[in-house]
Amino acid sequence: MNIQILDSWLREHIKTAAKPNEIAKVLSLSSVSVERLEKTGEDYLYDIEVTTNRVDLMSVVGIAREASAALTQNGFKTEFIEKTKGPLKTGPNELLNIEIDKNLVNRVTAAILDVKVDKSPNKIVYRLEKSGIRALNNLIDVTNYIMRELGHPAHVFDYDRLGKKIVIRESFQGETITTLDNKTHILKGGDIIATDGNGRIIDLLGIMGLENSVVTNNTKRIVLFFDNNNPKKIRRTSLGLGIRTEAAILNEKNVDPELITPTIQRGIELYERYATGKLVGNIVDIYPNKPLVVTVKARKKRISQIIGVEIDDKTIIQILEKLSFKVRVKKEILEVTIPSFRAQDITIEEDIIEEVARIYGYDKIPNFLPPITGKSPLNLQDSDFYWENRIKDSMKYWGFSEVYTYSMVSEDLFEGPNETAVKILNPLSEDHVYMRSTLVPSLLEVARNNYFEPIKLFEIANVYIKRSNNLPNEKLRLAGVIKKENKALFFEAKGVVESLFEDLGITSFEFKKRSGGGTGADVFIGDRQAGNIELLEENIVNFELEFDRIIEMATTRKVFTPIPQYPPIIEDIRIEQQEVTEYQKIVNLIASISPIIVNVKLIDEYDNKKTFRITYQDKNRSLSNEDVIPIRGKLIENLKSKLHARVG
Amino acid sequence: MEEELLNIKNNAMALLMEAESLPEVNQIYIQFLGKNGNLTKELKNLKKVPEQKRPEVGKLANEIKLTLENIINDKKNDLKQGKNDERAKKMDITRPGVKQELGSLHLVTQAIREISQIFESIGFERVRYPEVEWDWYAFEALNFPENHPARDAWETFFIDVKADAKMGPMILTPHTSSGQVREMLSSAKSRPAGHKTSIRMLNLAKCYRRQSDVSHTEMFHQFEGLVVDEDITIGHLKGVLEYFVKSYFGQNRTSRIRPYQFQFTEPSFEVDISCGICNGKGCKLCKEGWVELGGAGMVHPNVLRAGKIDPGKYTGFAFGWGVERVLMMKEGLSLPDLRLIYSNRIEFLKQF
Repeated sequence: MNIQILDSWLREHIKTAAKPNEIAKVLSLSSVSVERLEKTGEDYLYDIEVTTNRVDLMSVVGIAREASAALTQNGFKTEFIEKTKGPLKTGPNELLNIEIDKNLVNRVTAAILDVKVDKSPNKIVYRLEKSGIRALNNLIDVTNYIMRELGHPAHVFDYDRLGKKIVIRESFQGETITTLDNKTHILKGGDIIATDGNGRIIDLLGIMGLENSVVTNNTKRIVLFFDNNNPKKIRRTSLGLGIRTEAAILNEKNVDPELITPTIQRGIELYERYATGKLVGNIVDIYPNKPLVVTVKARKKRISQIIGVEIDDKTIIQILEKLSFKVRVKKEILEVTIPSFRAQDITIEEDIIEEVARIYGYDKIPNFLPPITGKSPLNLQDSDFYWENRIKDSMKYWGFSEVYTYSMVSEDLFEGPNETAVKILNPLSEDHVYMRSTLVPSLLEVARNNYFEPIKLFEIANVYIKRSNNLPNEKLRLAGVIKKENKALFFEAKGVVESLFEDLGITSFEFKKRSGGGTGADVFIGDRQAGNIELLEENIVNFELEFDRIIEMATTRKVFTPIPQYPPIIEDIRIEQQEVTEYQKIVNLIASISPIIVNVKLIDEYDNKKTFRITYQDKNRSLSNEDVIPIRGKLIENLKSKLHARVG
Repeated sequence: MEEELLNIKNNAMALLMEAESLPEVNQIYIQFLGKNGNLTKELKNLKKVPEQKRPEVGKLANEIKLTLENIINDKKNDLKQGKNDERAKKMDITRPGVKQELGSLHLVTQAIREISQIFESIGFERVRYPEVEWDWYAFEALNFPENHPARDAWETFFIDVKADAKMGPMILTPHTSSGQVREMLSSAKSRPAGHKTSIRMLNLAKCYRRQSDVSHTEMFHQFEGLVVDEDITIGHLKGVLEYFVKSYFGQNRTSRIRPYQFQFTEPSFEVDISCGICNGKGCKLCKEGWVELGGAGMVHPNVLRAGKIDPGKYTGFAFGWGVERVLMMKEGLSLPDLRLIYSNRIEFLKQF
């Protein structure tokens, strides 16, 4: 939440030599962020972001108190000008009979005044409008002015539209109200409301006044009314009805009920000054839930231990006292009494440390890097981050573009029966309902949405496999898609997988016909399936591999095999078959003939004719043609007898 | 004989003078110096020269042979050079090269790598924790009150399963902070007995929130640093973030921390870095010279307790920032809409 306040208003509450830009800087660094400082005429306007735990800073006085502490610590002598008027004089007032429920309100305080309705003076109008509040007339403007100045929301009723009695109770479901902006709302029940003696609802407490009790141009007598409420109920009603007034935003964050005292005193003073106000009878004050006075202990040693520098007692005490804490030093322990306006916010030792540290100045704490201790040794072999990086680099340099697609997919893109899905209960759109169990459909969608061809995409991301009574199993996968006109597209994808395995040192792998049907192959590493390749259409092929299976078998080990000393003999053999045998079977057969056949490679294929290039090599000696002749003979004989091939 | 030799030489020289191509020169070589060349044949006649004249004639013959060989070599080199010159003249080197196929790594991957490298260089270790997470790790253990807005169905994605009695509802984690308590608990398990707690975690992962606009995507990445040890101070947090800011954004950028409020840290900070556009002077795109990087703070004692770490003995700090956010804040990228990052348009991907 943001608050805008004028420099001139702030300076009514602090005496300082600091300039506006200095105040802005110091506040940002030690308290709340001044997001913008704007010159406006002779004055300056601060636009300040206040965190939700610091509702006490949603006022000029709150900011002034913080500024005095922070500026003093930053070398600007600054005094906070305390304007208390002492305790509130209260008593029964026969003109006003208020009944409350202490579960709903902590404090209700009200004063009756005879007034004259008029326009507010220019100074009030200017300050309010610069604060983002519209000025209306002196009766309403005073309530807004004192809220901005002191921090507690206030309300004003036309006394003559109320009668003597005000009863505060919870609403029933279906009761209707018309707020002062002339909007009618149906209540859900449980809202904090006030009724008059006739049971007519006259206020939606803490959020907005009602049309039937608000001041008018004819108002002669008012009730200046303060209610400090149960914040949870205020938040529920305010969000439920969609009425987000500043009063509601403050009231739902535990405004300090003690603040009512100076605020009503200031309100009466301003009515006297600007509306010829005259108090009628006693101020009524019903105060069932006073804030507890809390003391928090902070160990001096702990303060320096967390901040990282030693701060002397005098400075610590000065900082805390400037922030309105009371401090008693008991040897190594500070007993800090928390002011009522910080009671919700400061509850443990660390909170005290924060107060000291921020006002002392975070910029004064020297920077250190933490020592490197207890680090486990680097283990690349088992680091999936290492393998992920390597694989991504390979894919990039093989022409693939990496994509990041959403983990959530639509019902259309989800593969498998819906009941196996990890499903989102409150999706933002129908496109993102299920946690995906495969990456492929997402990649295919990207391929389709890009009109370019050829296109090569890949992604490494989690899939989510449902488990009963447990979080889903999140498994990393590598998936790729190639969209391209190529008659041998399947083999392009297969080649990528083979190259990947080669690069990672995976030697034991196999491609098998797809068990689930479709055109393609299941990829096995060792004896376990690690993924698959699927030719989806003539021009689209995809593959998906289990990452953990890849890195289980990938290796950083480097083994040297002696480079052959003796030259090979290389020759081509062409075979022709009536019924074609699988490539791998032919190769296996050829390779099995002799250990000196070290390489077999298909170099040409035409109809049912295949040409293989065969490399003979012996690591211990030079081969002569005479060595090869008997092996070739055996090879030809085997090809003829076992594969019914014509060789020549 | 001398006369014969000189004739051969002169003939050869004349032919070489006129030769204009390598094959011609080679032909001349064969004609004179080849196996059956004129000079070779003549040299064989040396035996017939009377003995007392033989050394003199022999010397002359050798000189002629060497001279011819030299001239032929020179001529060959000249002709080769000429051919090279001609090739050089003909070649249009402005035509495109034959490129190797080049794909691309996603911007987010590139950012993740840079970030990881920076933190790993000061002792942090990357970890992975679940994206589909229990409320307990994402909120409860991090000291979030029951009614905190982040825990409701407006901000966080819930999974359609029954809530666990201990762990609460199953959600998509909205921040990498859910790894904090997981790391504390797992470090206790993996630590040898008698060793003190010493955590330097970098949790960099996908997160999910119910928000989609020019500066938000439903899925995004955060990186979370967590350091827990004896005597960890605010000074250490400042040191680490200054190291990161200068390493990632550049030496001329500075950082500051200022008070903020988070449930799981105390004290809590907002981290700002100097605006890269106005260099910290203040402009329309920043707040008085600063832009917000993200949150940080000293680990709340309740969070340490949830991680079974004694807050009396150990302290720590944590920070969690958006990968896409630091990417967008880097000078020069100027993306108008964060959602472009996940558009997966090839024209976008190939730019980086």
